[in-house]
Amino acid sequence: MPRYYLAWAKDERIREKGANGGFVTATLVSALETGFIDAALVVEKKSVYEGIPVLTSNPEVVKECAGSLHGAPINLTKYVVDYGAKKRIGLPTKPCDARGIIEQAKRRQVNLDNIVMIGLNCGGTLHPLRMREMAADFFGFDPDAVVKEEIKEGKICLVSKEEGMGEKEKWVKIDALEQKGYGRRDACKSCVTKIPTSADLACGNWGSNDTQKTFVEVLTEKGEAILKNAIESGYVEIEEAPGEGIEKRKQIEAGMQRLAEDWKERMDEVSALSRSERLEFYVDALKNCIGCGACKEVCPVCACEAGAKCLDMNDARDSYVVSMYNMLRIFHLMDSCIGCGECEDVCPVDIPLTLIHRRFSERMQRHLGYTPGMDVKERPPLYETELRWSAEE
Amino acid sequence: MPEDKWEPKILAFCCNWCSYAGADAAGLERRQVPPTIRVIRVMCSGRIDPAFVILGLLEGADAVLVTGCHIGDCHYVNANNQTRNRYEFLKEFVDELGLEPERLWLRWISASEGLLFAEMVREVTEKIREIGPSPLRRDWKK
Repeated sequence: MPRYYLAWAKDERIREKGANGGFVTATLVSALETGFIDAALVVEKKSVYEGIPVLTSNPEVVKECAGSLHGAPINLTKYVVDYGAKKRIGLPTKPCDARGIIEQAKRRQVNLDNIVMIGLNCGGTLHPLRMREMAADFFGFDPDAVVKEEIKEGKICLVSKEEGMGEKEKWVKIDALEQKGYGRRDACKSCVTKIPTSADLACGNWGSNDTQKTFVEVLTEKGEAILKNAIESGYVEIEEAPGEGIEKRKQIEAGMQRLAEDWKERMDEVSALSRSERLEFYVDALKNCIGCGACKEVCPVCACEAGAKCLDMNDARDSYVVSMYNMLRIFHLMDSCIGCGECEDVCPVDIPLTLIHRRFSERMQRHLGYTPGMDVKERPPLYETELRWSAEE
Repeated sequence: MPEDKWEPKILAFCCNWCSYAGADAAGLERRQVPPTIRVIRVMCSGRIDPAFVILGLLEGADAVLVTGCHIGDCHYVNANNQTRNRYEFLKEFVDELGLEPERLWLRWISASEGLLFAEMVREVTEKIREIGPSPLRRDWKK
């Protein structure tokens, strides 16, 4: 059985509403209806800037949630932890969702047997606030009037609908936006995991020659089973992916990764600083912290509960130069940070946490030769008694 | 204490079974150990949570010393392997944070190595005198 397919939904309604043939929606719906999964975790679109995670066993709700949503960078990991203890859950996952779920499985917070991850290739998401600014500054739209967004071939499209003005559509190159500091989130700009290789399926339009067909890579047996289930129940049709499609997908991925490496260097304001300036930078950035704990709450890697060390050992009255909370969070994430940027999104005082965590974790992960969120069998190195390379000495 | 009389404050975590006894041995052998060191006795170097080291640095220690039994000699079979593992993390952490790498030390010292203990403390003290007080001290001004 080959691992690459082109797939699409048979149901015309799903195909129209979903992106690129509605394969993901159709698969989830068929899995729900045949009892392959008990519930689906999907993101319900409230507006272009807002989506809320919904756990549902109603296929109609899943159908309603079809389509991509770039302006709501939600990480679904913690929702799976909250709800997925006993039920079988299927959910669409960006690479960072899939990596987060794998990290939680390493920490025994979820049972991977119960979770089917339908991975989505991801070029990046946009921060809702930045997107509003972008709509006003670059597109000349009233942010509240924007009804549709789309990203295709390096361009972003916004459609606005104002009363008495009709619909207006405008395409702008993402690169041009990002040069001016808009566009994707910092975490997405520097992310090199564009294809969710730790999920069960990896779907996307890269490599697909038809806008009505999704390119699907089968990564695990579970993925194969859910695909088979979708075909047998008559929701999805597949054909073998052409060789040039596979090549093209690889090229797109490699190109995106190169771009990400570029961004990493360009956005890293710390690497040019001397040692003492670096300390000053970190102290300055972290001194605004009000200790609300939101970054820990949302972090897809953190599995500690109320008694977490970072909270337990922190006392605002200590008035240290840098708070113990931040130091411990950074330290504990050095081997495991997947760089999803959720912490920065929720930070009420806008600490550049993506950059800080990346600075610390990237060098440690390179030193360890370890990439978090990829293989569930690899334990987090901080918990190991002996490191691989120290055993070789 | 007047400004020119600044002396380093060094925090040392010593394993009960080796380096703490090693410090004892240094005393018995009448060796001079600089009075810059503050010892905290732990039952095993594997008990030293990296958080303790970070806490020590934040509290204003100019250097933190982690000492334990030689690899293979651990009183608890292999707990000091974990110490070595955590030290790798701490080393990168301290370096990236912008502290001098000399503010963190890991040494293996057995119960009979009083000389080694005294020499280590002397070495650390000299090094810290060179690089000055820790920028993480609470009286640190920008």
